[in-house]
Amino acid sequence: MIELLMTVFSATFFVTVIRTTTPLLFATMGGLIADLSGALNVALEGMMLIAALTAVIVSVYAPWYVAVLSGMSAGALLGALMALFHLRFKADIILVGFAVNILAAGGTVFALSQATGGDKGTSINLQSKAIPALDLSLLQAIPGVGPLLKSLLSGHSLLSWLAVLTVIAVWFFLYRTPWGLWLRGVGEYPAAPEAAGIPVNKVRALSLIASGALVGIGGAQLAMFNYVGFTRDMTAGRGFIALGAVLLGARHPVGAMLAALLFGVFEALSIVMPNLFNWIPSELIQTIPFVVTILALVLFSYRAQRARQLRTLSKI
Amino acid sequence: MSTLANQRGAAFLREVGRALTALVIALIVALIVIFVTSADPGKAFSTLASAPLSSNRTMGLWIDDVAKLTLTGLAFSLVFQARQFSMGVQGQVYVGGLFAAFVAMSPLGATPFAIPLGMLAGMLAGAVYGFVPGYAKARFGASEIVSSLMLNYIAILVVNYLIRAHLAPAGSGQLMTAKFPDAAIFPAIIPGTRFDLGIAIALVATVIVWFLLYRTNWGLKLRLVGHNPKFAEYAGIRASFVMVSAMTVAGSLGGLLGSVFVQGRAFGNLAQNFDGNLAFEGILIAIVARSRPLAVPFVALAYGYLRQGAQLMGIRTDVPTEMIAVVQAIIILLVASSFSLPGKALFKRLLGQSPASAASAEAAK
Repeated sequence: MIELLMTVFSATFFVTVIRTTTPLLFATMGGLIADLSGALNVALEGMMLIAALTAVIVSVYAPWYVAVLSGMSAGALLGALMALFHLRFKADIILVGFAVNILAAGGTVFALSQATGGDKGTSINLQSKAIPALDLSLLQAIPGVGPLLKSLLSGHSLLSWLAVLTVIAVWFFLYRTPWGLWLRGVGEYPAAPEAAGIPVNKVRALSLIASGALVGIGGAQLAMFNYVGFTRDMTAGRGFIALGAVLLGARHPVGAMLAALLFGVFEALSIVMPNLFNWIPSELIQTIPFVVTILALVLFSYRAQRARQLRTLSKI
Repeated sequence: MSTLANQRGAAFLREVGRALTALVIALIVALIVIFVTSADPGKAFSTLASAPLSSNRTMGLWIDDVAKLTLTGLAFSLVFQARQFSMGVQGQVYVGGLFAAFVAMSPLGATPFAIPLGMLAGMLAGAVYGFVPGYAKARFGASEIVSSLMLNYIAILVVNYLIRAHLAPAGSGQLMTAKFPDAAIFPAIIPGTRFDLGIAIALVATVIVWFLLYRTNWGLKLRLVGHNPKFAEYAGIRASFVMVSAMTVAGSLGGLLGSVFVQGRAFGNLAQNFDGNLAFEGILIAIVARSRPLAVPFVALAYGYLRQGAQLMGIRTDVPTEMIAVVQAIIILLVASSFSLPGKALFKRLLGQSPASAASAEAAK
């Protein structure tokens, strides 16, 4: 137990948490934007997987930032596809989302075997690149807190910093710009913005595209920093956990970030625990993020329900 | 009465037409993909299109798939009819398979009770596993999509662990249990193939689900809640009870599928990751069948053929089986949406048919 606490309160654990949280955070922000516009995006998982593969394959031939951009574009394209089928052809958004997930689960394996000439599981034969980590060794020069700051802040993926900026940007966009108001209005009560002359479907389509782009960055981070290279089903439910984080975070960017961080902590725990407790079977440790997601979701939904009931009671 | 019958007939034909159009479009895309990627596209496509009929053995594989696809399609149909998006069939298959395996590996496994008890154990375990997300939603308002998906991952990990550490023969390093006793494995209807009891179970389940949905009070309530929750509420139907019970019954179907998996001739034991992602393909079956139980076996028959063709194509040619994912996604997208061929709208406009009359025709069905 002491060892676990020692590990959890160490700087390396913090770095691990940031690493596990970053893809989740991008996916959560993507899910949040789609959800707020009134289109629950259950395709986060599939979008992330396809973006991860795209990024890995592009990174073989191009610099890392091009790879990240292409992962992002792959996500955005899938978002546009979902928008097309949901808004233009009136398909149920959840079914469209699962179509994307099914396409991703098999399609990535198929595409990978085409790209590598026969590998059906991993991209081990591809010379893919990684996203560089930001080296902040110069912080060490600060007297007193310097070494601590350095061990906490140095060595994160560039995209982790971008993720923090994204949360701020999403918050600013949603609550401080007219377009953010449009987006929330479209999700809350589409008839009102419609009457005000706001193109409801256009707003939803753009939100789905933006959602896909954000998830795509998360996928690129997963396959170019957390792991370098692609393995089949490497997202392993992260997209669905991100969906849980959106709901858990009360559909607010800061709340969603905290929820993503919570799940990131438990994923990091499931990474460090096998070294500490080798008597616990690894399969059971791997269930931790999923169990925590269910428990957190139930607990939060229960509290939200209670709060609603109390509000109705106070009105009587 | 006759106009009603006519309308139903027309709606039926329209649905069949849509499904077939979607299938044709998906197959054309598959053909293009095969042509782009394969060194011998002719062989790959003919394998996809005809291999399941090539021998008794492959026919058996096909029918085995049809039985399993029917069961997962029924489970998804049931929850979709209640407009619940519980995606937990995969998890239910795993716990169902696990408990069926417990029965088969116990002393009971060598007795004639092994098959019915195994099925019952699987169904009970699946029902419990289906009940959890339903209860979490009805009682706490937790999204059933997220919780059921999480339960899938948990079930797979736990079952894989139990197989690796406890159920596999000690010291063998195998990732599967030993073969069950013969009494616990479904008898073959046609000897030497996988054409076994599973297909009979699937057909009986179809009739039972149809009866439950269309001939019982509970089914009427369930469909009402699915079609129009507000109206159901005004009519005094306890939506949460219907919701939880629908997910529980669907869970028992998922669990039954688990027992069909492990006790069927295809396995006859419990192996890691045994479902091969088949459980999720029930989404496609349910959507194409428009969640109608009686249509499910037919859709399963057609889709199972395609699925088996793709498996054999993956084995016999250079095009990987996973190519079928493209076909699946296209079919779901096209059938779930109100797509029409581009020329059709133009044709109607030329004939001077106003969109209003089309809308009223839409309302009439």
